[in-house]
Amino acid sequence: MIRKTAITIALEHIEYEERIIAANGFISRDLFDISDTRPTFYMIGSMGLASSIGLGIALKDPEKKVFVFDGDGNILMNLGSLTTIGSLKPKNLVHVVFDNSVHESTGSQPTNTNFVSIEKIAKACNYNHTFTVKTKNNFEKILRKIKKLKGPIMIVVKIQQSDTERSGRINISPVGIKERFMSRW
Amino acid sequence: MKEVIQRKIFDYLLKNKIYNFVGVPDSTMKHFIDQGLKRNKILITTREDEAIGIAAGMSLYFEKKWEERIKSNSLVFMQNAGFANSMSTITSLVQLYQIPMIFLIGWRGFRENDAPEHTKIGKIQPKLLKALSLQSMILNEEDWKKSCDWALKLIKEGKSCALIIPREFVD
Repeated sequence: MIRKTAITIALEHIEYEERIIAANGFISRDLFDISDTRPTFYMIGSMGLASSIGLGIALKDPEKKVFVFDGDGNILMNLGSLTTIGSLKPKNLVHVVFDNSVHESTGSQPTNTNFVSIEKIAKACNYNHTFTVKTKNNFEKILRKIKKLKGPIMIVVKIQQSDTERSGRINISPVGIKERFMSRW
Repeated sequence: MKEVIQRKIFDYLLKNKIYNFVGVPDSTMKHFIDQGLKRNKILITTREDEAIGIAAGMSLYFEKKWEERIKSNSLVFMQNAGFANSMSTITSLVQLYQIPMIFLIGWRGFRENDAPEHTKIGKIQPKLLKALSLQSMILNEEDWKKSCDWALKLIKEGKSCALIIPREFVD
């Protein structure tokens, strides 16, 4: 499964009124390329902070589910956020980590998820439910399953690198992204 | 700064519609933080950039949605060493997306005989604020209210700013 496939599957299981915060780099770009019909918060820059921005939103609006689309490189830069999330335990936060074990956006340099399990770290940080999936079927199964579960939830989606396909830049300005996101409360 | 003033500053900002107080502790403002903890209004994070990320997320929310919309304004507190940690997040999140917030920053290295790790960053702090085009005011015990009003006015106008608490004593 490549990232675009995984993101497409995830979108099929996220309700329109639920929130998506997408990490910078190819995660945001792929999501934008697949579909931009929701008021997604595309994080451009501030690498590592998608989970923190998502946490802030989840705490403020606890009745609405917040999905963070993260990458392995991204979350490794902000592992402390897992302890904050695990301490505050927002029940509406779903943390999806697309893990290809490389920093693909910067030229596919290796990350430490080759050696260390992010799922295990999340579990140790008091996430209520954690999963690792490797196949499309399994990912779909877990996405259906979590609808009934209380967060914080982490799903690590093991993906392959996708060297051949490159999504373009997001053509909405950062202020435009923010205003669109805020207009939907 | 005196304990009683620090506590007053917290209550004043809370009363004036700062809804979120997120940050990394600093002994220079420990009574401010303690007042917030007592009121169950403080979120302590692991790093300053994380605090800014959470505060930014919170500030995307409206406290009142229907009649007059009130933005959920945030304050992020930190040491000046932490301010140095935050540069990239301030430029690529707070300023890029124009998500206004108040930064409350301790100022160690303000006195020359402070601990050595604070000397350099304390010296360049005003220049760093200027380089970021982040307007700032130094809080003092006499007219702290004026500085707070200035910050509250700016955030209402959608601009970020910094309030600085100098470290008057050396321990």
